[in-house]
Amino acid sequence: MRYRTLALWSLVAAAISALPATAMARIKLITLPVRERAEIQLDNPGATLVEEERIVPLVKGVNQVDFSWANTQIDPNTIVFRVIAGADGEAPKATAKPAAAKETKPLDVKVLSVSYPPNEAALVWQVSSSDSGSARVRISYLLGNLTKSFNYRAVATNDEKALILSEYMRIQNLANESFGSTGLWAGFGPRFLKPIGINETKEMLVKKFTEVPVKKTYTCDPQAHGYLDRPQNKLLVPMHYVLKNNKANRLGVAPLQYGKVRIFQDDGHGGTAFIGEDWGKFTPLDDEMRLYVGVAQDVVVKRTIDKNQQHRIAGNLFDREVVIKFEIENFKDKAVVLDISENVRAIRNELYGNNGRDIQWELGKDTTFVEGSDKEKSTFEQLVFHIKLPARGADTKAEKIVHKLHLLIKNEW
Amino acid sequence: MIRGILGLGMLLVAASVVRAENVDLSTVPTRNTVQLTIYNSEDLTLVRETRKVSFKPGANPLQFSWANTLIDPTSVELRFLTHKDKLTLLDATFPHAKPQMVYWNVQSEMDGEAMVEITYFTSGISWSADYLCIANPAETDMGLEGFVRVHNNSGEEYEDAQVRLVVGRINLVQKIAELARITPQQVEELDDTERGKFKKDALVLAIEAPLLTAQSSARKSRSEEPKQVAKEGLGEYFIYTIEGTETIRNGWSKRMRSLEAAKVPLKIQYRYRLAEYGDQLVRMYLLTNDKDSKLGTTPLPDGIVRVFRENGRDGLSFLVAQSVKYIPIGDKIELNLGPDPEVIFELIKLRTWRDNLWMQLHGANVFRKVGEAGVVVQVNSSVVGWDDHTLYTQRVRNYTKKPIDLEVRRAFGGHVVFRSELPAKNHDYQTVEYTATVKPAEKVNLLYEIIQHQGWLAKQNNVTIEKAQVKP
Repeated sequence: MRYRTLALWSLVAAAISALPATAMARIKLITLPVRERAEIQLDNPGATLVEEERIVPLVKGVNQVDFSWANTQIDPNTIVFRVIAGADGEAPKATAKPAAAKETKPLDVKVLSVSYPPNEAALVWQVSSSDSGSARVRISYLLGNLTKSFNYRAVATNDEKALILSEYMRIQNLANESFGSTGLWAGFGPRFLKPIGINETKEMLVKKFTEVPVKKTYTCDPQAHGYLDRPQNKLLVPMHYVLKNNKANRLGVAPLQYGKVRIFQDDGHGGTAFIGEDWGKFTPLDDEMRLYVGVAQDVVVKRTIDKNQQHRIAGNLFDREVVIKFEIENFKDKAVVLDISENVRAIRNELYGNNGRDIQWELGKDTTFVEGSDKEKSTFEQLVFHIKLPARGADTKAEKIVHKLHLLIKNEW
Repeated sequence: MIRGILGLGMLLVAASVVRAENVDLSTVPTRNTVQLTIYNSEDLTLVRETRKVSFKPGANPLQFSWANTLIDPTSVELRFLTHKDKLTLLDATFPHAKPQMVYWNVQSEMDGEAMVEITYFTSGISWSADYLCIANPAETDMGLEGFVRVHNNSGEEYEDAQVRLVVGRINLVQKIAELARITPQQVEELDDTERGKFKKDALVLAIEAPLLTAQSSARKSRSEEPKQVAKEGLGEYFIYTIEGTETIRNGWSKRMRSLEAAKVPLKIQYRYRLAEYGDQLVRMYLLTNDKDSKLGTTPLPDGIVRVFRENGRDGLSFLVAQSVKYIPIGDKIELNLGPDPEVIFELIKLRTWRDNLWMQLHGANVFRKVGEAGVVVQVNSSVVGWDDHTLYTQRVRNYTKKPIDLEVRRAFGGHVVFRSELPAKNHDYQTVEYTATVKPAEKVNLLYEIIQHQGWLAKQNNVTIEKAQVKP
């Protein structure tokens, strides 16, 4: 049973010529070099690297340096022992000899071998030193149960035109080892210098983005979001906040990490109101983070299949004609933009079954989306249209807007 | 911990008489030298040890026992290194009551000391290789260290042993650990041909290396320098010999550096290969095990490579730990670092359409092409052949600060034409490989069209590359 979860011992019982015999000795004099500095590198998505520096006293000749741990998940195969220059950037120094030498000579320190004792969470380095003195060594290892995650707090302005986005890194230390003032780095953003104790969770602000333009979208997509009321053919209309991760939108510093985003809105009275939360996906630069805030029940979209007809070309080969009608009402007191999204392949599958083939299609003349589909957001089978919806009238009545999507589906059998 | 007991006893009993059942007196000649030849591809170690034994004229019984160890009893052999002409091995007996023991009867024509060599196979000793790579911050070169780690779980302590490691795959017909657990009588029931082949194959690898003499064994290597590991080729194998001798206690393992190279040049390539790396673009470090790369002195045995990068702030970043297979001299070392969040790789299908549609009249061997001038296609016909066209863009965004080299391999099943202006070539009959360079902050669209002949028109199962302009 060890008293410490992590320990570095330097055996100073003179130069050792034969390690095993010494390793088995029952009487040992050991020094316990303390941790001088520690860094926790969290830049790898699947592993946490700890680097610690200790000043190890060495005697001239061969030394034994024990490294042991208990109840921590150090991967012993990943432990790297490196002798480095001192804090002043110089090589490790020999102990000054009082009478003769005023100048100290750099130590030549070499790792000769590493031994792994049975049934013990420990290893023993055999290190040779050209002289007696102290060497600054850096020990690096992968440590389990010390994990990071990210979360965000977004506070939208009262008019929902912009928001303040704060990105936090949360470190959870279940590694059963405490670290004093330790450098913490996520691979981007600032480098923190914080202590983190056993079983502690620490949350740090990585970056605060202010005045981030936010686009509020209302989207209906029968394949992705389904129906609010299927018998009445009323589509579910979720409301999203969309942030674009680029400089023009006051972001674009680094990819936005996956994490929960809690969204608040300025209530106009000096306070904020929680309006929803969503998991923000990993968002590379120039990509959009779409946050599902809630369902917009004041935008009503009714979707019906208005026409379904097929035309024989030859034998079992047909062209098909489908018209989908959207009846839209905006009961909000302000104008909004509605995104209508349809998957042409899913329409074919819905009406004619899935034949497994990609779809060949054209827009027909009865299509009423005059501005056409959004080229950036549409794909070969997914169409996205933007519709401007006026606010409801002063008489509280909403104007009913009707749009049609006319599809010619070709060469089907 | 169960300590093995490995002993050679000389029974001080009249040789010609039957051994006493319950009362014995023996002398125990100690081990003079020991050499371990450890094979990493199998749980196999050849042990060669020498001992000095005094013989008297006439019959001399010797007892060799190995309680609590994992020695294959069929492999134990005795040879005389000195006075060969005066010493004869008459017989060997494996007593039924004592399974881990052999008695040898030696006829001596001399009175004095002779050096004997005992060889046997044991399991429980193994070795493995691993590598530590630390790339510089600019990722133009790296330091590479190779290590060998010897594990001793054989039940026996081998002190001051010369250690030799065999790199390569040998053929074994039976596991040593299995043989170690059965009696010699049961071993006799095994197939003679197989047993003989196994012993012969492995003994070939006993390699005609001189066993260290007692004096040389006693010589310690330069104790304040890392031990050198000599490497030499032997047939299909490579032998690593660790300088001097090593003591590896039972249950312990020991790791030593076997090679070290600084400033090994590396190249970075981004690759997409579904079968090898999954459905993602991965970043690779590419090195070569050759002299130009400051390596190439030895093949690199199978092992784990742990890759770090100096992060430019006086620390390391852990990149990946990856298993590599045996890398011959001159071959490539490919390290997969996984996806790079600063490079976005998207395959977007832009458009699909069909043409060249052919119908077959029902019940007749008559085919008509749809839409051909002057051709009427009857109602009682079905589609039997067509071409599927799909237009793709491989969109790549590079947010790193350096240009990136990209290599994409995509496999297509069926009879396919790959049409594009990209520098494409066939990697194999159904895989197309193309390359591109993407500058920093650049977004490129690599366009290509796939034409898949279907049904009656599918005559082949391969991909043909056609250089042609394609438009979105």
